[in-house]
Amino acid sequence: MDPIFDHQLIQTRRQFFGSSGLRLGGIALAAMLGERAHAAPSRVHPALSGLPHFAPKAKSIIYLHMNGGPSQIDTWDYKPVLQEYFDKDLPPTVQGGQRLSTMTSGQARFPVAPSMFKFEQCGQSGRWANTELMPFTSQIVDDIALIKSVHTNAINHDPACTFVMTGREVPGYASIGSWLAYGLGSENNDLPAFVVMTPQFPQGSNGQALFSRMWGSGFLPTRFTGVTLRNAGDPVLYLRNPDGINTQQRRTMLDALNQLNRRKFTQLGDPEIQTRISQYEMAFRMQRSVPELTDLASEPQSVLDLYGPEAKTTGTFANSALLARRLVERGVRVVQLLHRGWDQHSSLPKQLGNQLKDTDQGVAALIRDLKQRGLLDSTLVVWGGEFGRTVYTQGVLTKDNYGRDHHPRNFCMWMAGGGIKAGVSLGETDDFSYNIVKDPVHLNDLNATILHCMGIDHARLSTKFQGLDARLTGVEKQHVIKELLA
Amino acid sequence: MRVLILALASGVAFAADRPLSFNRDIRPILSDKCFACHGFDAKHREADLRLDTAEGAYAKTDGVQAIVPSDLAKSEAWLRIIATDKDEVMPPPKSHKTLTAAEKATIKRWIEQGAKYQKHWAFEAAVKMAGKHSIDSFIAGRLKDEGLAMSPEADRETLIRRVSFALTGLPPTIREVDDFLGDEGAGAYERMVDRHLASPRFGEEMTRHWLDVARYADTHGLHLDNERQMWAYRDWVVRAFNDNLPFDQFTTWQLAGDLLPNPTRDQLIATGFNRCNVTTSEGGAIAEEFVYRYAVERTATTVETWMGLTAGCAVCHDHKFDPLTTKEFYSLYSFFYSAADPGMDGNIDTTAPFLDVPRASQQAALEKAARREADALKQLDALAANTTYADPAEAQSPLARQTVRDVIFDDVWPIGGDAKNTSRNATDWTSGGHSSRRAVRQRNSFYHEDSITGMLAPVTVPAQAQFEVWVRLDAHDPAKALALALDTIGGRKRAWWGETVADTPLGALPAKEKRGPLPKPGAWARLAFSADDLGLQEGQRITGFDLQEAGGIVWWDAFSVTGESDPATDTLTSFSAWWKAAAKKDATELPAELRKVFAAGPLPDAVPDQVAGLHAFYLARIARPVNADLAKQRDAWMRAQADKEAADTAIVGTFVFRDLDQPRDSFVMVRGQYDKPGDKVEPATPAIFPALKKAKPDARATRLDLANWFISPEHPTAARVTVNRLWQQFFGTGLVKTSNDFGSQGEMPSHPELLDWLAVNFREGGWDVKALVRLMITSATFRQSSVVSADAQKRDPENRLYARGPRFRLDAEQLRDNALFVSGLINLEMGGRGALIYQPPNIWEPVGFGNSNTRYYLQDHGPALYRRSLYTFFKRTAPSPFMSNFDAPNREQSCARRERSNTPLQALQLMNDVQHFEAARAFAEQVVLKGGSTSAERIAYAYRNVLARPPTTEEVAIVQQTFEHHLARYTKDTAAAKKVIGNGESTPRADLPAPEVAAWTLVANLILNLDETVTRN
Repeated sequence: MDPIFDHQLIQTRRQFFGSSGLRLGGIALAAMLGERAHAAPSRVHPALSGLPHFAPKAKSIIYLHMNGGPSQIDTWDYKPVLQEYFDKDLPPTVQGGQRLSTMTSGQARFPVAPSMFKFEQCGQSGRWANTELMPFTSQIVDDIALIKSVHTNAINHDPACTFVMTGREVPGYASIGSWLAYGLGSENNDLPAFVVMTPQFPQGSNGQALFSRMWGSGFLPTRFTGVTLRNAGDPVLYLRNPDGINTQQRRTMLDALNQLNRRKFTQLGDPEIQTRISQYEMAFRMQRSVPELTDLASEPQSVLDLYGPEAKTTGTFANSALLARRLVERGVRVVQLLHRGWDQHSSLPKQLGNQLKDTDQGVAALIRDLKQRGLLDSTLVVWGGEFGRTVYTQGVLTKDNYGRDHHPRNFCMWMAGGGIKAGVSLGETDDFSYNIVKDPVHLNDLNATILHCMGIDHARLSTKFQGLDARLTGVEKQHVIKELLA
Repeated sequence: MRVLILALASGVAFAADRPLSFNRDIRPILSDKCFACHGFDAKHREADLRLDTAEGAYAKTDGVQAIVPSDLAKSEAWLRIIATDKDEVMPPPKSHKTLTAAEKATIKRWIEQGAKYQKHWAFEAAVKMAGKHSIDSFIAGRLKDEGLAMSPEADRETLIRRVSFALTGLPPTIREVDDFLGDEGAGAYERMVDRHLASPRFGEEMTRHWLDVARYADTHGLHLDNERQMWAYRDWVVRAFNDNLPFDQFTTWQLAGDLLPNPTRDQLIATGFNRCNVTTSEGGAIAEEFVYRYAVERTATTVETWMGLTAGCAVCHDHKFDPLTTKEFYSLYSFFYSAADPGMDGNIDTTAPFLDVPRASQQAALEKAARREADALKQLDALAANTTYADPAEAQSPLARQTVRDVIFDDVWPIGGDAKNTSRNATDWTSGGHSSRRAVRQRNSFYHEDSITGMLAPVTVPAQAQFEVWVRLDAHDPAKALALALDTIGGRKRAWWGETVADTPLGALPAKEKRGPLPKPGAWARLAFSADDLGLQEGQRITGFDLQEAGGIVWWDAFSVTGESDPATDTLTSFSAWWKAAAKKDATELPAELRKVFAAGPLPDAVPDQVAGLHAFYLARIARPVNADLAKQRDAWMRAQADKEAADTAIVGTFVFRDLDQPRDSFVMVRGQYDKPGDKVEPATPAIFPALKKAKPDARATRLDLANWFISPEHPTAARVTVNRLWQQFFGTGLVKTSNDFGSQGEMPSHPELLDWLAVNFREGGWDVKALVRLMITSATFRQSSVVSADAQKRDPENRLYARGPRFRLDAEQLRDNALFVSGLINLEMGGRGALIYQPPNIWEPVGFGNSNTRYYLQDHGPALYRRSLYTFFKRTAPSPFMSNFDAPNREQSCARRERSNTPLQALQLMNDVQHFEAARAFAEQVVLKGGSTSAERIAYAYRNVLARPPTTEEVAIVQQTFEHHLARYTKDTAAAKKVIGNGESTPRADLPAPEVAAWTLVANLILNLDETVTRN
């Protein structure tokens, strides 16, 4: 028997079935290894050496990406003065010759479309919010830090989506989730470090494309790619045994496989063989841990009620939000939800209503649920899209119908939880929500702040790519937004 | 300590007594820690000091000299390195860079030894070492220096499997193994290698690697990520490797095939290399910006592929580490900036410049069909011009109704109809319709609609009208609902069949419009409805129609109407009724001189000649034929039309690269912004490299000049980069590990003399790829056993010294192909459109844009499922997991080196993916049928098929035990056994007992998951 091999081989069949139940998670594993004097608990997803750079405020992150460009004017950036400008042209001094997308650059006029929705001041903080479409989220405003002055570089979806997640407009760079998984690893040995969900979105909405590069590893090793928790078929790809095979047979197969691979290791000495053995064992553990994760039977009715009537329906936003909580509860480092359909060039009032109806309750429930479990302090939650929308209408304008084009110059995002000062609002825009007048926050700064909350100095998390020290936050020095920090 | 220092340079532990070399030992340290501020980039240079050249380092400024050879105390740089004051020490703390003790010691010794500089190795011409050498002499020489030696040759079974995967991407058959084992003559190994080099599979395996570099895929890559026709390029690469096209030509064809004199079709197809980049057609995007980006991307890819330099950073500023200024980057870029392809790809699969690539027979068939069609039409028109006709509308007394049967569409869309579809999985016409030659096929797992509007021959609804259309539902993927809508003056009328398919446009159809259930899939069936069913009135005009389906595949054919028609008002009998009803602008089917008069409608002052012309047109092409001769000739024309269209659509094409007639001016783009042009630049190459020789010295340099420059004897990198990539392919890691970066941020070569020797030999030997491959594969270095001792593993974990043979995991494509091959399922057909193989649900769907034609994955069936992985469809924004799970790049940008990860998701896929499990079952059947009678024999057969070697006694015992365990279960539970063998779409053999095959399937699944199986040993 090779002692190294013995050390690495995590479970034999006897140990597996001999342990209580079949849930051999990280703790059981550590305990098992701990029985052997020479063995230290090993992590399946270790952190890079030297990381975190300092004590993190947040251990996990849930990134809620509302894909398509949610209208800041109809959600958080309240502009009462606009009512006076209904159907009047956006003053050229405001527009300032800024770049427009070619979808509206040819328009003869740029008539202002005030939001048709009711805004109210909410919470202790008195935050203005569209309470008509966000009856739930407007109740948690004291738990979030709102940023009204986020800006980005790109004006079209593909480059803007690529930018918001990778810090570059062109493909090839690592996504924020894979950077975090790469740098920090994960605490759960039975689940991936970085999990992605793409919940369903309202039928009939303008569902822009997503790109796997938004959770891709780019130039980082491919094992840091986000693993999709899926709405159809197996929740994790190829998780289920083929028809006609039961768990015991899979175990029998793995026992033989381990034995044969071990013999080969003894003969050849290639350590990759040991790694392979432990990966097959982790695969087997995932066959238990993932169904356990997605089985909501243990959730009390009160929690299900919090997320709303769709909490138990696979693939809904509410269900995904609940799974996000269950994932961070299990120590998964990064959870990313990408919800599509926020691209309202026309019929904005109706379609934005559909989008918020789909997500509002789930988003608020997630914050409340994390909070009531004491997880919000150690979980960073981020909400936002890839850009904002124009104050002027695209196409028809009536009091209750209008559309808006892409607007990268300012939009709203919010953050909550670990490391974030709750209840603050940062940044101001002009009366037309067209230009930032105070405290601009570039997406690179925002990403630097996210990394900071996770215990990472963005300037020091880099890897060599194309002759450069590539960073999530780009070549230039970025700024952690101190005003947002608790 | 010494060992540590050198380990930094290339990840190999070297012997301690090698002399220091600037390039090997010093440059990597300075490049990483110092050049950002004291390097090539003048704009960001601090204190006006550069350390990348001797001149800079030795220069005296205010009496201070950064480096004084052999004098540490006077070398300011050294004093700063060892300074303790935060404001003095270098590198400064804010750079987050520090020198390790080992690095400091190396620098110290280098200064003490005289601080000698060298030009960066990759920019010096490759020089072949004098004397007689071989790969093995270089490797063995270096090993000897290190006090090591090569391992013995691997056993023959290991060797043939290693060679077979290296050269063909497939395992050897038992017969091939036996032939090799039985060949006891000298040169047996070389003969075996030559057999593999001659296999058409060789080109496929070589192409697989090249496609990563060329960033080849079947979709555009950005936004809609629609399908593109590009596979002719992929198939050309296969041919080029199989025909052993010399690499210099392989280079010029791809970079400048269009500029060669009288380029051949293959030379044009090859230019697709620089059309493989990602493109967009996103609404709102600015075309100029993307024209700029494409040129940047093509420049960076070309520079990386042939120069081994990462040029990306010079887009915005001078390269910090390598001698490439922004101006030089844009001078290279100007070779590509005049590309003729548009900024917006149009979301079509034929974005210009596009080259049709018919096979010779297809081209001849098309020409013949076009001639026939033209002849048939000419005869028809002539016949019609001589036919007398009286308009029934002008008859003295009303004419009696006639029984009519009119075909609305059959083998072609109706004349003048504008055909559109919902741009998802496009409609196609296939041969073998119900009625005659062709039928329309709609394919979409969600929803598809074909809409025909503005028919030039509107149909007049007859009395007692009965409509019928023939449909065939696909046996595998039947559509779940069908609808047919008629456009009439007075609204849209619809009939539908099948079930309600929620969430599709057919989800909310009213029940009263439902005409019944769908027919049985797999056979042609007639769907019928009456005018009454739809609320149509006699005399209403039908100007268009929609064919709609949800949830699968359907063919439509022979849509017709019968009834009692009134000749005076029927558009197909009355010229005036037709003219009035059909009049429209821009009826391009009409001769140009008649369009205006036609559009105006029947006016009293129409010129009689023109009216006569319209008359003839009407009789020939619109009217129900008025006599038997016309009927016969019309029929002949319709058939000729269908034949021509069939011949035309059979021809595919490919994206090619071409310049605009008038080149665009190129400028340095300030900070990489497309709308901020700075200084004007001309096509030129960087100063550090040998001068570019232009074919016409006074003219603008061309891409052909650039290509010729790469392959010129003076060029220092093209041959080195190429031999290095091939070395990497066969040995797992390049001699330069960073195979895409030969610059100062890349790693030094582990065996510089060997790299140069290979490069010069390659060039001098006429860039003969097969000869180079043969040289590597037949080396003793390649043939070594891969057994590694714990000591050797520790000493050289990455095997950079080659004291053992290469051993690494198979690539994504090889893993899938291996399972298909040993199971006998594999389909070795070559070339063509990418096959849509098994793919789990929801790979494309959750990411695809609503209107993308690659949103809904509609899997192929039958032999297409078992095509080699090279020929499977590659969608960039959602690659197939069989590729991405095993480190295949997403082909959004060039990739010179894949990683080899080892993850639990891979384990799940190899155990459970239907592709692999079905292969296990098919393999199990082979084992039962051909593997002998005892289970030990069968296990041996399985092992020999998969691993080329027989199992050991212990292995047989282990496998046998699991077999018996499974057999016991399946004998008891035959239902489970049937489930096991029922996985996948191929039919299990009925003549074998299910429990036995099921148990062997699990054994096969075990063997296909062995580490040894998924590894090239």
